[in-house]
Amino acid sequence: MEAPGGGAAPLSPALVGRLRREHEKVVTSCQEKIQHWKKVESDYEALQERLHTLPDKLSYDIMVPFGPLAFMPGKLVHTNEVTVLLGDNWFSKCSAKQAIELVEHRKKHVRKALDDLQKVMKNFESRVEFTEDLQKMSDAAGEYVDIREEIEDDSIETKGKYRTAHRPHSKPKVSNVFEVDFQANGSDTKSMGRFQSEEELWARLEELERQEEILGELDRMPDTVETNGEDATSSEEEKEDKRIDLNGTYRAEDCITQGNFHKEVTNSDLFGVQVNGSTCYHSDDEDDVDVGDNSVPTIFFSHTVEPKRVRINTGKNTTLKFSEKKEEAKRKRKNSSGNGHAAPDLPNIKTPADIYRVFVDVVNGEYVPRKSILKSRSRENSVCSDTSENSAAEFDDRRGVQRSISCDEATQSDNSEGILEEEEEEGQQQLLKKLPPSSGTTEAFSGTVIEKEPLSPSLIPHPVIAHPVLPTILERKSEEVLSEAPEETTKRISKFKAARMQKTN
Amino acid sequence: MSGRLPRQEDGESAALRHREELSRQIKEQKVVVDELSNLKKNRRVYKQQPNSNIFFLVDRTETLSQCKNTLDELKKAQQEMENSEKAKMKK
Repeated sequence: MEAPGGGAAPLSPALVGRLRREHEKVVTSCQEKIQHWKKVESDYEALQERLHTLPDKLSYDIMVPFGPLAFMPGKLVHTNEVTVLLGDNWFSKCSAKQAIELVEHRKKHVRKALDDLQKVMKNFESRVEFTEDLQKMSDAAGEYVDIREEIEDDSIETKGKYRTAHRPHSKPKVSNVFEVDFQANGSDTKSMGRFQSEEELWARLEELERQEEILGELDRMPDTVETNGEDATSSEEEKEDKRIDLNGTYRAEDCITQGNFHKEVTNSDLFGVQVNGSTCYHSDDEDDVDVGDNSVPTIFFSHTVEPKRVRINTGKNTTLKFSEKKEEAKRKRKNSSGNGHAAPDLPNIKTPADIYRVFVDVVNGEYVPRKSILKSRSRENSVCSDTSENSAAEFDDRRGVQRSISCDEATQSDNSEGILEEEEEEGQQQLLKKLPPSSGTTEAFSGTVIEKEPLSPSLIPHPVIAHPVLPTILERKSEEVLSEAPEETTKRISKFKAARMQKTN
Repeated sequence: MSGRLPRQEDGESAALRHREELSRQIKEQKVVVDELSNLKKNRRVYKQQPNSNIFFLVDRTETLSQCKNTLDELKKAQQEMENSEKAKMKK
């Protein structure tokens, strides 16, 4: 017999009956245990009585048990000495009074157990009653009716919608629709309008993807693959932003809790400063990338004064900034959270060195390769904050390496260093071989360790991890460095390095 | 209704069990009293310490009186139960 509401599966009489039986089982087991504990308690009480009177006489006539069935008449002597079992075959010899106290202590435990059992029994008895009522309800069609109302999915989700209707000035949270499905963290409160346009969402997504691809193709012409690849990823925000009109209509503030990206993809025009689309600045967002007419992917910091596009050196994807990393991470997150699109080619950043290669900074109007954020720029012309000589020397060397690498990879770009034309050719040859598709194939460690001859003992003479081409470049670099900071280098070379240099010399 | 019967049965079975238990105890006590009263005067009576195998010597007359008392109590309890049940039935 089914309950009238139609949701009668849990109320089927068989199940309810079984539930009741189980409850009753528990109740009976509780009762048995209670019986047992009551007996134990009574035994203890009798023992207490006996102990109380035991010391009254010097000896008692008793029947001494021989084994399980035989007895011998005997006397109980030393009536005040009681050996009490403490458990685990440990005994304690004590007087009758002490034994009484011990017994009292044990009785306390027994009482506690009894109380607990009583409570459990009561609990389950009430449950039994409840299940009986339930059974009655399910059986009796007319008396009690389980009121059930089928709720449509929409009604739950659109709860917020109703509310917004009352407030004429509130923004309709349509934009949240796009965001919800693709954010790992999810906009919890924003999922209100979620289901209303899910399919629209997918359609929109596809549309944006197509546009992305188109844009990406255009952008890929001048070999700026990576940024476009990023654009083509499935991150929702990027897609929204990649729309050509870029009005940001779909970009509500809460849409992009994780940050906006606008990207400009430029052609071979390395230093062209392109105007931001700039419609999408969000003060809270750190990185904005505009999709402009040109093709250089650019990331602008909304909080920086001059969001110039950083172009330079790398030639292929120079303009991507530090925020690129974030974007990657975000993209990865989004990918993991459900998007099927993989980033085809990112700036191919596989190593930290790639990052430095890829991203460049604008410093005082000049373009310098990006430095590790762990290293302060102020150290360029100053003594290293690190006191050890080695690290200082290594730092200089790394700088040189980075610069050299970035220079090398620049196809025909100017260097902010200004020099290295000769090496560029060499470097280019080397690197062009290596970097046909993009600049990401170079590894941090090429496998060759080259020890350079020092230009001067005071210079950077320690082993350098570099391409074979680079030694020459490094030399020049070291010249630069020398010119920049001669004093510091003199200090930093350790005697071991000097000795080694002399050896190689 | 089908739902009500089990509960009643439970209550009834408990009462039944209780009554049976009582009647059993009463029988035991009766036997004890009879035995004690039929002992010769020189016999020693030992009482078992609960939950153990030790028997303490006790005075026969004292134990007889004690057992009689317990028997009376049990009988009273049984009667009360029966009275209450009869009252319920009447209601």
